[in-house]
Amino acid sequence: MEAFLNLIERNNKMFRRDKTAVFFSLLSVIIVIGLYALFLQKMQIDSLKQASEATPELITMVNEWFVAGLLSMIAVSTTLGTFGIAIKDIESKTVVDFLTAPVSRATIQMSYVLNAIIIGFIFSFIALIVCEIFIVATGGTWLSFSSFLKVIGILALSVLLASIMNVFFTLLVNTQNSFAALSTIVGTLLGFLCGVYVPIGALPGFAQNIVMYFPVSHTTLLLRNAFMENSLTQVFAGAPTEAIEQYKLIYGITYKLHGTMLSHATSYIIILSSIIILTILSISLFKRKHR
Amino acid sequence: MKLKTIIQVENLRKAYAQEEAVKGISFSVEQGTLFAFLGANGAGKSTTIEILCTLLKKTSGTVNINGYTLDSSNDNAAIRKSIGVVFQQSLLDERLTVYENIIHRGKMYGLSKQELAENYQFVSTHLNLNEIEKQKYGTLSGGQKRRADIAKALIHRPPLLFLDEPTTGLDPQTRQFVWQTIKRLQEDTNMTVFLTTHYMEEAAMAHKIVVLKQGEIVAEGTPDALKTKYAYDQLALVFHNSLKGTNWLIENNISHTEKQGIFTIRVQSTIHALALLKQAEPLIASFEVIKGTMDDVFIHIMKQEVS
Repeated sequence: MEAFLNLIERNNKMFRRDKTAVFFSLLSVIIVIGLYALFLQKMQIDSLKQASEATPELITMVNEWFVAGLLSMIAVSTTLGTFGIAIKDIESKTVVDFLTAPVSRATIQMSYVLNAIIIGFIFSFIALIVCEIFIVATGGTWLSFSSFLKVIGILALSVLLASIMNVFFTLLVNTQNSFAALSTIVGTLLGFLCGVYVPIGALPGFAQNIVMYFPVSHTTLLLRNAFMENSLTQVFAGAPTEAIEQYKLIYGITYKLHGTMLSHATSYIIILSSIIILTILSISLFKRKHR
Repeated sequence: MKLKTIIQVENLRKAYAQEEAVKGISFSVEQGTLFAFLGANGAGKSTTIEILCTLLKKTSGTVNINGYTLDSSNDNAAIRKSIGVVFQQSLLDERLTVYENIIHRGKMYGLSKQELAENYQFVSTHLNLNEIEKQKYGTLSGGQKRRADIAKALIHRPPLLFLDEPTTGLDPQTRQFVWQTIKRLQEDTNMTVFLTTHYMEEAAMAHKIVVLKQGEIVAEGTPDALKTKYAYDQLALVFHNSLKGTNWLIENNISHTEKQGIFTIRVQSTIHALALLKQAEPLIASFEVIKGTMDDVFIHIMKQEVS
């Protein structure tokens, strides 16, 4: 156990001290913040202004929608970034050096996973605080304590899902070059798959289905619901139910898959079963790789 | 006094789908000795070492290290605690300090805080880590890195140290320092050193040498025994008059080679050279007796066909 905790501590230090790795793990997030500041926010407000006035409540609602997407992206990008250490250890044969000590390959692999979960959660938590300050600074209100706890819970689930998904991906690569390529692909697709670059309703039907089958997008959906509960009520006060439903469908606050509205419970089931399936796949891939 | 055997290898084989890398080798290493394991690239050295270090599964044969049987229940963990390994390349973490690196590795062996502190003090003293322990490993010179690598391998005070080409790429001064340190550690702790190297002068310091070729042991013994069997001393002569010198060699039926006025004669030993020198003394302007080296041994063995 001590060897395991020691490996986690070592991986953690290695990631934190590699400023370039930290920066690149947040690059897709930094890009999306830039795009939001430049035009994404304005575009959404402009499109919503046709139905409602650009009130402070509307701006808060749009900001909360964005923040929810951002947080789910951070969970994926930071946990993926930490697995760079695992790939570097394989390529430099540091893993072989570890294996001359009485630790198993599985222990070493688990230390990378747990480090990813810890780093992912710390970064997500810091991002949540920063996002809350941003929302309040731009005219919104703090999350209630119960909503805050709910968001923390969803973030924990999101980080767990992202870590398991990323361990599966990184088991498929062995070199830092292929890992860099993987990071680029994930970083590029992430903004679309979380429905942050473009609202899901603006995508063609098949692309919408892909997004809905992507388990991380369900953490985005749950986060949006947790963040936007109050602002949705305020912005759409007095508006017909159809208008709210329409907005929710277009902006990925509710999913309608093959004509069926998905409940929050379904999203939780999709996330949890994805975690289980990806864990099983990762274990079998790991065993096959090191047979 | 009979030394305790710390490594006993019997009929070790490692076969891959396409080839057999190690073909039933047997050897033993006595505790407290320096053992050199030699062979050209691809001879099966690395495969054997990886098996001994529990990194690779053997196909067949038995390996006993420090009283533990390789691949039998729980013994591999005990073997790992009995060995320290210094690989050819530096494998510590560049962004961690020397101290952090060594302590992190020490914690992998389940040492108590007190043991870890004592062991760190021990390796720090033997390897002069004081001056570099707060520096990031990535900022160290090649020699400093090697010191840290050895300290890492010894932090759990193993009785057996594997050195896989430990001085490759180091300057002569650092190589000398590394060897002085290893010798001192051996004297102080009765540690066994299992060495692979391409520097034959390093192998010449070993108590025992095993030479591997195409997965088989083709020679083994002490450096002196191998030199006697596979190398030869040479006598280089310069005559006052080369023509007279040549005639004398021919008259005495002494086979020789000549290059730029230097006549080289192969002799069985330096004593035989002395006899020749006495005979030819009036003709000789200068001479040199060249001792056979481990390089000669290695080259000779590598030229031999595997039986």
